[in-house]
Amino acid sequence: MRSVIALFGAFVLVAVFGPLVAPHDPSAINVPNRLSSPGAEWFLGTDALGRDILSRLLHGARWSLGLAFLVSVIGLLIGTLAGLAAALGGRLADWLVMRTTDTFLAFPDLVAAVVIAGLLGAGTGSLVLALSVTGWMRYARVARGIGLSLATRGYVLQAKLAGMSPLAIARWHYLPSLLPSLTVVWTGMFARAILGISALGFLGFGVQPPLPEWGTMLLDARIHMLSTPLQMIWPGLAVVVCVLVINLAGDALRDALAERDDPA
Amino acid sequence: MTRGILGLVLRACVVLTGVALATFALLWNAPGDPALAIALARYDTVVPADVIDRVRVEAGLDGGFWAAFKGWVGPLMAGDLGRSSVTGRAVWPELAAAGSYTVPLAVAGLGIGLAISVPLAVIATRAPGGWTDRFAVALASLGAAVPAYWLGLLLILLFAVHLGWLPAMGARTRAHVILPALTLGLGVAASLTRIIRSGILEARGQQFLPALRRRGVSDRAIGRDHVVPHAAIPVVTVFGLELAFLLEGTVMVEVIFGRPGLGSFLVAAIAARDFPKVQAVVLLTALVFVVVNLLVDVVYRLIDPRIGERDA
Repeated sequence: MRSVIALFGAFVLVAVFGPLVAPHDPSAINVPNRLSSPGAEWFLGTDALGRDILSRLLHGARWSLGLAFLVSVIGLLIGTLAGLAAALGGRLADWLVMRTTDTFLAFPDLVAAVVIAGLLGAGTGSLVLALSVTGWMRYARVARGIGLSLATRGYVLQAKLAGMSPLAIARWHYLPSLLPSLTVVWTGMFARAILGISALGFLGFGVQPPLPEWGTMLLDARIHMLSTPLQMIWPGLAVVVCVLVINLAGDALRDALAERDDPA
Repeated sequence: MTRGILGLVLRACVVLTGVALATFALLWNAPGDPALAIALARYDTVVPADVIDRVRVEAGLDGGFWAAFKGWVGPLMAGDLGRSSVTGRAVWPELAAAGSYTVPLAVAGLGIGLAISVPLAVIATRAPGGWTDRFAVALASLGAAVPAYWLGLLLILLFAVHLGWLPAMGARTRAHVILPALTLGLGVAASLTRIIRSGILEARGQQFLPALRRRGVSDRAIGRDHVVPHAAIPVVTVFGLELAFLLEGTVMVEVIFGRPGLGSFLVAAIAARDFPKVQAVVLLTALVFVVVNLLVDVVYRLIDPRIGERDA
């Protein structure tokens, strides 16, 4: 658990400080050195325009991880509000929110995100919108489920009888109980967002070149796959390692919470 | 029971109405004038204003959102998906042709996924916490982290470029389906392994199992008659979820392998801003998803009638 959290912290550090330690300018074009192999000067080699791949990966962490963080937090906010509204707002609100959730769930995430990002025009803004719109439903379901189970608890009933407003009950009684489970859901959605951002980047609907997003880098590298296959390995490896560590952190957190709630 | 199933069908109908509305609203609100987009796609030059107006009336876009929605949903109910705004040809035959490439790929991917995950989960749960179990869980975690587009490229590099065993691009021969299906299947296997594993473990943890064992029922009979049905419930549910994974997985895989199918069809339609085609694909995937999940819910209740009572 501790080691996973330490690794997770290391990624945050890379995303925040990575650009500072990058050995080269990520967009410095250096045609004579194009497609060079890994070596002392270019640690992971260079791409088709002679740009340093390591520097691009380090700068890319800001896009790939930073945007994924943003998307997953927007989803968390929308989903929690929707779930709480369903749990606290009476039967009609519950029905409306849950049928809306079902409707959004009916579209496969990536298909919907591709359509939204593609129609709005490729770019970072439409990427964030597309992934946020398709990424809130799981939070809503979890928040509603826990909310409904809390409604019958003694302290919630007492708060209601004492005349506490639904908003105050949501803030002081529901949110603290929701946070642990929502954090577990959030780790999963953060990992999904990283995959989604790089997938859309790879399809050409995401972050646009020359910005060094990992999926976009992979799209560039694909053309030179036969001559310099290593160039294609690095961005994919970055995605895999990040997603793996975040998922493991989520699993560890879930197990720790299960143990706390139900010490065997 | 019947009432519960009727309720599920009613709910699915509500969701489908929402799906149709959301699909239409999304394209209606896409930036740019749809009539201009159609006119440009059709004539491919600078288009005079009167032509744009004519296109607008032809496409039923002049009466506002609800009129246009009605004009789209009416034929839709009769199974008419309209015509491509670019080529003017009916969407349905082209969609069916694309689907005839996607369905075998999805089925093969699911087959590979099951062929890997079921034995892996069974072996893993023989000794929970042992090294085979840890190995299976680690493999599944790794598999869930590998994006399909990267895995696909790696498989192309290994099997098509270095070893030269398999064809990579297009869909000319049967062998062309192997690499795409493998890419899809490995992803499916990763998520299925975890779910089947925890399904088996949960079924094993049931309190009546020690009682059966003490009564002298053989391990084999316990596994067959008690563990398998319990493990089947999460597997059935997951089938609905896995379908979404398959649908979006095929989009990526088809693009990587330059394979015709619904994914390539969708990406091409978006690039051409061919709205009727985009609507058709989005609607079809959502329809498949809703119907399969409805069936899953119904089967679920047939396996375990307690579920319906808990919901009500």
